[in-house]
Amino acid sequence: MKFDPRTKLIMVFSLSTLAVFVIDIYLLLVVLLISIVVSNYFKENWDFLKRTKKFITLLIGIVLIQSIFSPAGEILLSINNFTILTTGGLAKGIRVILRMLIIIISATIMTGSSPREIIQALIQWKVPYEIAFMVSLSIRFIPILGEEAKDAFTAIQLRGVEIDKLNLTKRIKIYSYMFMPVLSGVIHRAKELSTSLEARAFRAYPDRSSYIKLELARKDYLIMFVSTLFTISILGIYIIMG
Amino acid sequence: MSIVIKTEGLTFSYSEQEHNILDNLSMEVKKGEILAILGLSGSGKSTLCYCLSGIIPHVYSGKLSGEVRIDGHSTQEMDMTMIATKLGIVFQNPETQLFFPMVESELAFGPENLCIDRDEIKKRIDLTLDLLNIKEKRNEKTGHLSGGQKQLIALASVLTLKPKILIFDEVMSQIDEKGKNAIKDIILQLKKEGKTVIMVSHNLDNIDIADRIMTLKNGRLKRFEESL
Repeated sequence: MKFDPRTKLIMVFSLSTLAVFVIDIYLLLVVLLISIVVSNYFKENWDFLKRTKKFITLLIGIVLIQSIFSPAGEILLSINNFTILTTGGLAKGIRVILRMLIIIISATIMTGSSPREIIQALIQWKVPYEIAFMVSLSIRFIPILGEEAKDAFTAIQLRGVEIDKLNLTKRIKIYSYMFMPVLSGVIHRAKELSTSLEARAFRAYPDRSSYIKLELARKDYLIMFVSTLFTISILGIYIIMG
Repeated sequence: MSIVIKTEGLTFSYSEQEHNILDNLSMEVKKGEILAILGLSGSGKSTLCYCLSGIIPHVYSGKLSGEVRIDGHSTQEMDMTMIATKLGIVFQNPETQLFFPMVESELAFGPENLCIDRDEIKKRIDLTLDLLNIKEKRNEKTGHLSGGQKQLIALASVLTLKPKILIFDEVMSQIDEKGKNAIKDIILQLKKEGKTVIMVSHNLDNIDIADRIMTLKNGRLKRFEESL
């Protein structure tokens, strides 16, 4: 079943709002579960999760930092009177991780819509088309930034520098050498891109026509209504209960 | 045959440079002609393309004198919209000319900017895909195409603007022999349709289909005489 990108945007917005405002860990778990179910329903690509594996260390680090800097409750782990893990700190860390997961997983709902459809959705929501295109182009050019960095990294390695064997200080110094060529490469490509855009009459008129037109079906309205109602209800209960 | 592009005393230098990259350059291009411009790297070929297509002075600035006339109108007096309907330019790198992941969206982009209605855009896409013999690519992702195919899509996306004049700035420099031959066949087809083509290259093999070859050296154009 195909849904309008605007419906998906509302769902992402609802789930992300809940992730930000909900404090209760169990409720955050429920929101995470809903995000997984919804994302799975849209049969989106889960390959990105494999790439997030490298962030596991970062996530564990977040829990520890939260616990060290905002200790609360019972001490779970301490070394020579230095508190490392507390129940309150652990809860805070888990909350941060759950929020990150909800935002990342809910965002995957959008991956089923093409960037052109998402732009059109924003335009039909009266977002100026220059801004809608700017968002889409910046996402489109993230891989190019990666390519530039990879090329610069390979060029350094080909000059006989074994980065893996260097200590952190030397490694940072090497990375600083990469910065200028990557930046100049990106600026060069951005310049080429803007020239191509101008040559194809971008922003020729204050308005533009659209080859595709999105139309909301009854199912889209229903899902938008349910998502909004669900979010408002949860937030309402939170505000009433203080 | 009528003259579609004419330059008179065209002189240009970029703001940060002292010397003129184009120096009192005058040329004429006739309707339906394939003109090739041959030049070494850094000879000012791309700058000349930018001047002919109005990108200089409308997008890039510098010290410009003389003028470029398209169909009798000076590019300095025309805006980019007006130029885009008369002249299309295809650049060397297809990666920075494709803005959308789907071929069809890419082809619709130019006409959408000109506020052309949906039915007309569809008609233009159909005609262009038919002309370039790439109908099967319509719903393909641009990321899955080869360099040559991407360059064809970049060309197709310019053709949907229906320009009478086409400029190809080193379009064959990043593609294989098969892709080059496909593009040459299309250029000959475009000539049959009455389009005027200006091809710019550093390699003589890439411009062997031209009616006339000129070389760009020291900012000036002269008739090609077997070597650069």
